[in-house]
Amino acid sequence: MKNENAINIDREKGNFHYDTTYEFDAGIGLNERVVNYIADVKEEDDWVRAFRLKALKIFNGKPLPTHWATKDLENIHFDKFRYYLSKGQQPSRTWDEVPDDVKETFERLGIPEQERAFLAGVEAQFDSEAAYSRMKEDLAKDGVIFVGSTEGLKRHPEIFRKFFAKVIPIADNKFSALNSAVFSGGSFIYVPPGVKVKQPLQAYFRINAESFGQFERTLIIADEGAEVTYMEGCTAPKFETTTLHSAVVELIALKGAKIQYITVQNWSSNVFNLVTKRARAEEEAEVKWIDCNIGSRLTMKYPGVILKGRRARGEVLSIALAGDGQHQDTGAKMIHAADETTSNIIAKSISLGEGRSTYRGQVHIPRRLRGCRNNTECDALLINANSRTDTYPAITVRGNHNSVQHEASVSKVSAEQIFYLMQRGMSEGEAMSLAVNGFVNDLVKQFPMEYSVELKRLIDLEMEGSVG
Amino acid sequence: MWLRNNLNHQNGMRSLEVENLTVSVEGKPILNNLSLTLPKGEVHAIMGPNGSGKSTLAKVLAGHEDYVVSSGAVLMDGENLLELEVDQRARAGLFMAFQYPVEVPGVSIANFIRAALNARQGEGDSFDAIAYYRRLYAEMDRLGIDRKFTSRSVNEGFSGGEKKRCEILQMAMLEPKYCVLDETDSGLDVDALKIVAEGVDHMREDDRGILIITHYQRLLNHIIPDYVHIIVDGRMVKSGDKSLAIEVEERGYDWIKEEMAASV
Amino acid sequence: MPPATTVNPDSDLLTETVFEHFQGRHPDLPPWLLQQKRQSWMEYRSLPLPNRKMESWRFSNVRGLGVDPFALANPINGHSRAALVARSQDLDSCAGRMVFGNDDLLENSPLSWEMTEKGVIFEPLQTAFSKHSEILEEFFMAQKSALGSEKFAALHTTLNRNGTLLYVPEKVEIRLPLVSRHWAFGENAAVFPHTLLIARDQARVVFVDVYSSSEASSRQFACGVSTVYAGSGAEVEYHHVQNWGERSLSFNTLTAIAQRNSRIRAFGMNLGSKYSRNEGHSIIEGPASNAEFYSLTLSHLDQEMDQRTRQTHRAPHARSNLLFKNALLDSSKTIFSGLIKVDKAAQQTDAYQTNRNLLLSPKAEANSMPGLEILANDVKCSHGATTGQLDDNQLFYFLSRGIGKLAAQKLLVFGFFEEVLEKIDNRELAEFHRRLVQEKFKRS
Repeated sequence: MKNENAINIDREKGNFHYDTTYEFDAGIGLNERVVNYIADVKEEDDWVRAFRLKALKIFNGKPLPTHWATKDLENIHFDKFRYYLSKGQQPSRTWDEVPDDVKETFERLGIPEQERAFLAGVEAQFDSEAAYSRMKEDLAKDGVIFVGSTEGLKRHPEIFRKFFAKVIPIADNKFSALNSAVFSGGSFIYVPPGVKVKQPLQAYFRINAESFGQFERTLIIADEGAEVTYMEGCTAPKFETTTLHSAVVELIALKGAKIQYITVQNWSSNVFNLVTKRARAEEEAEVKWIDCNIGSRLTMKYPGVILKGRRARGEVLSIALAGDGQHQDTGAKMIHAADETTSNIIAKSISLGEGRSTYRGQVHIPRRLRGCRNNTECDALLINANSRTDTYPAITVRGNHNSVQHEASVSKVSAEQIFYLMQRGMSEGEAMSLAVNGFVNDLVKQFPMEYSVELKRLIDLEMEGSVG
Repeated sequence: MWLRNNLNHQNGMRSLEVENLTVSVEGKPILNNLSLTLPKGEVHAIMGPNGSGKSTLAKVLAGHEDYVVSSGAVLMDGENLLELEVDQRARAGLFMAFQYPVEVPGVSIANFIRAALNARQGEGDSFDAIAYYRRLYAEMDRLGIDRKFTSRSVNEGFSGGEKKRCEILQMAMLEPKYCVLDETDSGLDVDALKIVAEGVDHMREDDRGILIITHYQRLLNHIIPDYVHIIVDGRMVKSGDKSLAIEVEERGYDWIKEEMAASV
Repeated sequence: MPPATTVNPDSDLLTETVFEHFQGRHPDLPPWLLQQKRQSWMEYRSLPLPNRKMESWRFSNVRGLGVDPFALANPINGHSRAALVARSQDLDSCAGRMVFGNDDLLENSPLSWEMTEKGVIFEPLQTAFSKHSEILEEFFMAQKSALGSEKFAALHTTLNRNGTLLYVPEKVEIRLPLVSRHWAFGENAAVFPHTLLIARDQARVVFVDVYSSSEASSRQFACGVSTVYAGSGAEVEYHHVQNWGERSLSFNTLTAIAQRNSRIRAFGMNLGSKYSRNEGHSIIEGPASNAEFYSLTLSHLDQEMDQRTRQTHRAPHARSNLLFKNALLDSSKTIFSGLIKVDKAAQQTDAYQTNRNLLLSPKAEANSMPGLEILANDVKCSHGATTGQLDDNQLFYFLSRGIGKLAAQKLLVFGFFEEVLEKIDNRELAEFHRRLVQEKFKRS
């Protein structure tokens, strides 16, 4: 019971919803009719429709991965969700044109304010489609494309099709197949050669409807020597029924390009968050995933980088906070496919109450490669007696010219430290918060400032009431 | 001309000859057209400021793969050293005492030196373990190394002085023709310096050439060199006797650099 | 020259009548054992062969794990028996030794009168099944295999007929090691060695199992189970040397159960077999106990060494440690999959797990899956895994002393192994391990 309070405070910001009328609703359940409905509404080309239908078949044919993953997946009732909901409007270029209820939602979440403060572009998705999408004009002059994926598919099919589903094939896993069948929304970004986007581009994903599934599809291409930072935030109101979020995100960093992808996820505890994220890094390219997972009922997410070109670099920095009753099943994949590629994984998790955090990692260095290196560090902090953590890395190295190092540790907050802080007058909760922030501090320091402040605040809120 | 070559050749059979050596590491030139003759029976010292290329010379002689010889030659008793692998050079009689001896967990000093001696034996030769330990203990006693060290892992957890003494122990056991000591005096206190210096001095023989690479002249108080050479920016800029080392100690290296600049 | 075996088709492991044939060969099994065997035979037949989908067989080359070419081993004739016994004198000083060939007892150097007086039992299972049935009914195969080899454990239970019972009564200390030497003889022979070691409260014992084939290059099927019980305050050191013929298929499951304040140390040495699967499970049953698993592997050619471990903590204030070091030559492959599992009740646990792989060839492959499942919060647990090559600086240092590349590599592998070998208190035993590594290098 004591954790209840903390969670309520935490969710305060995202825990609200407006009754909204939708123009388009694919109805409840998943079948060919629903898939065709989505393709019809979006007026998609035949190849996209064929792609969706093929994916649906693959999805239906694949078992849930419960031979290694949690049995909680069996509690997802795919026939009870609504797979597409939209108001049918084009994404607006100004906030004034956004329908009032939607606008109010994003205003409460602080999006327009952030846009003014430090963003180069914003896309705000409300259930299945983007409601708002805008980028600074000088970027458009440089040839940067930043639109919703629906719009990207329509207006830039030549680029979109070339890279789409190449890093994450339909059949990668059951949920990538699901997304491929019913995807809608998400961002499409193309940064031309040599263009360095200085301020971050941001997308905000909002689930508003009950028993709904959100399936955004994001595709980011940084052409040779280009640089871009993308940030995404997610929230949903807390419903009695479950909500499904299953995104697919593909990044392509061409020669010498740099992509930084930042997620701060704060789903409510009724959300199944099952996301596939993977990047391909060409020669001397660099991809960095910064992944913060707070909230949701179950998150399964293992951002990966395929290091395809010589001297490519991949990095995953991840923080997971598993509150009472939550399961953060996160990790990273580093697939080395060229000489002198390097990868780095730092994962920190905190389990509270009966929360469970799981790290799964895969590092693969095939034969004939030379000079590849991987470093992995996983640290888990357990707060309460019933908290749980698991670590399941899998490392394969072939040949004697590469080196891999993996270290993991599990600990609790030192009683000495808490005693020391309390002696200085802090409450136990404050002391615990401080200790937890200290645990993740070296990682948080690598985040953009605006996000590290937000993250610290979220951790403080989550920690409140977790002790005593 | 013929006479001179022949003479060189004759002398060359009893010396380590470095001829016009130019060396780079990762594309950066470190040694520039450097020449040096170390005859058997003599002790030479090479001094120079930090980054002058002193230690590079030691590593090039030993055959470290990071250093690329772009021109020049090194002959050891007439044999082309640069054509040999690292271990072949060592077996041919070259020994380098490392500035930073490498720690090797799990391999005892006794086994290590024994393997090195074994490698020098002909096929079918039997190894006399009793004679080996007798010699090993004698050398250890002389260098003030506790006999218990034989079973300790090579250099692992050794103090700076212990590491350097262990280098000299190996040198004594392997009886090389030419010894190159790379900053063996660095990181030693007065007492350790004395023991190490005595150990080296003890190795002085008509049949052995010794090259001492050092930043300071204090080691040379204990081992009086026959010649002192100064390297600056990868070039041999000055040679002399022991007094040159003392001059460098008193005046530093700047005056040599100035002399060089003036002569250009 | 491996001797020709006359194959009786009924003894072929694949045939459905192999169990009947086995019973025909051994008509004098006690009824409780026969009952157990019947049950496990059914279990064996109902369980699937390992496949790639099974998490516990991830990365394993599951093709070729069938029992097709193998048959129940035949008895060994007099001349060969004597030769094998002569080759079993590994340790000069031991408290007792048994030599088995194709699961028959070839030699038994009995315990001292003093030890027998104190109640120590060191007996081949074949006779112990009836002589000490009260112990065996309670302990024989009482621990279920849990790390993937359930099918092979069932096969073992069905076709095992011999092995070691070592029982050390309360407060009895045996200083010198006891040894069981297991030989496999003849192409395609299948053997099922078993070890049951029970150290009662405050007992102390060192026991060594050595498994090898008459020919280093032969092919056999070995499917063994070892169980070690350490009573309160007991100290047990167990050595497991796997050196089967290098075309063999071998499975072994080791379970070690530590009661209050006890200490178990298990040392594994893996050298033989084409494919070797070793499952090691330490179970912390009593508080303040300590279980340590160490293993060394030197693999070459196309050997595959498949190692699965678990450290289960059921009681608080206990400690477990694991260190598996693998050195890989040629195109050999290793798999290390370990799990530290700390139950809710096991507060104040200290558990560590380390896997170090040294790749010595461009074609070698090391897989590492060090896992943790921690359900108690007041614990110190960590794991580490590294995979790399010989250190360039060390190699240069060796070369600069005139030591050739191969000799340097060998010495460095010994150095790599020493971290484990130096933990063995008995010097002759440690030397025995070193000698085996030396011999393996000679075969390479």
